[in-house]
Amino acid sequence: MKTDRTPKIGFGIRKIILALVIPFIIVLIWLYATMYTSIPHGILPTIPEVGQTFVEMLKSGQMKEDILISISRVLKGYLISAVLGIFFGSLIGMYQPVKELLVPIITVIRQIPMIAWIPLIVLWCGIGETSKVVIIVLVAFFQILVNTQSGIESTPKGYIEVAKLYKLSRWKTFTKVYLPHAVPQILVGLRLGLGGSWMAVVAAELIAATSGIGYRMSSARSNMQSDVVIVCMIVVGIVGVLMDKGIGVIFAALTPWRKVENENRKEE
Amino acid sequence: MKEAKDEIRENDNSYIINVEHLNKQFIVDKQPMEVLHDINLKIKKGEFITIVGHSGCGKSTLLKIMCGLVDYEDGIVERNGHAVVGPGPKCGMVFQDHRLLPWLKIKDNVGFGLKNLPKQEREEKVRKHLEMVGLKGFENSYPSQLSGGMSQRAAIARGLANNPTILLLDEPFGALDALTRIQMQKEILRIQEEEKTTMVMVTHDIDEAIYLGDRIVVMSARPGEIKEIIEVDKAESRKRSGAGFAAYKKRIYDYFFEDSDVEYDVEYVI
Repeated sequence: MKTDRTPKIGFGIRKIILALVIPFIIVLIWLYATMYTSIPHGILPTIPEVGQTFVEMLKSGQMKEDILISISRVLKGYLISAVLGIFFGSLIGMYQPVKELLVPIITVIRQIPMIAWIPLIVLWCGIGETSKVVIIVLVAFFQILVNTQSGIESTPKGYIEVAKLYKLSRWKTFTKVYLPHAVPQILVGLRLGLGGSWMAVVAAELIAATSGIGYRMSSARSNMQSDVVIVCMIVVGIVGVLMDKGIGVIFAALTPWRKVENENRKEE
Repeated sequence: MKEAKDEIRENDNSYIINVEHLNKQFIVDKQPMEVLHDINLKIKKGEFITIVGHSGCGKSTLLKIMCGLVDYEDGIVERNGHAVVGPGPKCGMVFQDHRLLPWLKIKDNVGFGLKNLPKQEREEKVRKHLEMVGLKGFENSYPSQLSGGMSQRAAIARGLANNPTILLLDEPFGALDALTRIQMQKEILRIQEEEKTTMVMVTHDIDEAIYLGDRIVVMSARPGEIKEIIEVDKAESRKRSGAGFAAYKKRIYDYFFEDSDVEYDVEYVI
């Protein structure tokens, strides 16, 4: 991290320019490929074509509908995962027997890639809403759980001793000591879980769905509409970044003491 | 004066802390290790006791047993005439690493042990104790914004906030620089005189032990045993450069460095 004030503005501009270098190169290659090679437009559309499709999809309201469907699935699955993940993560972190009971099986389940769950989930839950939510929960729940557990477990003994000294109840010790200590780590889990949820919903929709942004991509592929596929991919990326940024802002507001700590660290 | 003290001693009820024949073992690598051996210590109300010893001599364990954070199996440990079974509101504790909770503002840290009080009363107590330790105006700061000395002041305020009759201090100034430490020693004395709290402080700083203690408990290590309890004449011990202070210092030094007088001489000149 840069600490001095003066070069900060220049540093900001440099950051933006550097971030744009690689996208710019990609666009150049894309332009070159569509103008000077014989790749068919059905495989690689020109940039203006993609732009036009983007505008059309925006105007017709189709894109909004697709995104809203996908996001509403993410929200359902994500909320369930957050509640369950924090609950079980805290239990595992605070009670050794619960840990011994749950952690081995969780470790095994976590090794199975999300995509590998889809066939079974579709068999059991069909291709409706339930299967999407279940797949999201399978991804986000474990990420949130594992991070919650590690945050709770790493609570310094000294703080717990202070709670013991003042005879705090088990619940109070949790809300006043364990939980606040684990919050930063839980937020990491929640952030990873949100990203994971978004990826999971797109993947699930690609394989088995009748609506949503992933479904749009898969149906466009079967119609050889590569422009729609590319537009959808860009949108998936942008929505993912926006959700990540949004959650980052919310979390910063939830942990005011960390802002102070970080500032102090910079000053040093 | 001396006679009066002896009279109080005979009456067992006047002891706020009573430790008799206390033994404590820890299991280390499946081997029992004796941490405390036959500890006998009676502390009067309003006394300032300092305990000096090497690190690892069990002095911190002794303190934690007194406040009920560590169990004991063998011996008698009483606070206010009752066997210690766990922490209680009348016994506060200050740790070496201030242990302020980083997510709570200073006022909430100081008020951490104040339960079941109306909001106003609670705020009033926090305000009073922050003022006492010289931290007025830092109510809404977070611990990370405070220096080491200030954090330790806040920790002392927390320890005193629910008006304990006993305050146990576990090397509270050990991590502070020398100048801040002397400043803090003066302030803890002032606070003790104001509040009349019984204080027991563990330290490895011999000067600190002499300057603060009404009595100094000298402990040896492995197993932790009380070598001597030194009665201190406060008129002598408050003058850090006086001959009386130096004499106390020599007496304590001799316990720890029985065979190396050379090392001692260098320190002695101060």
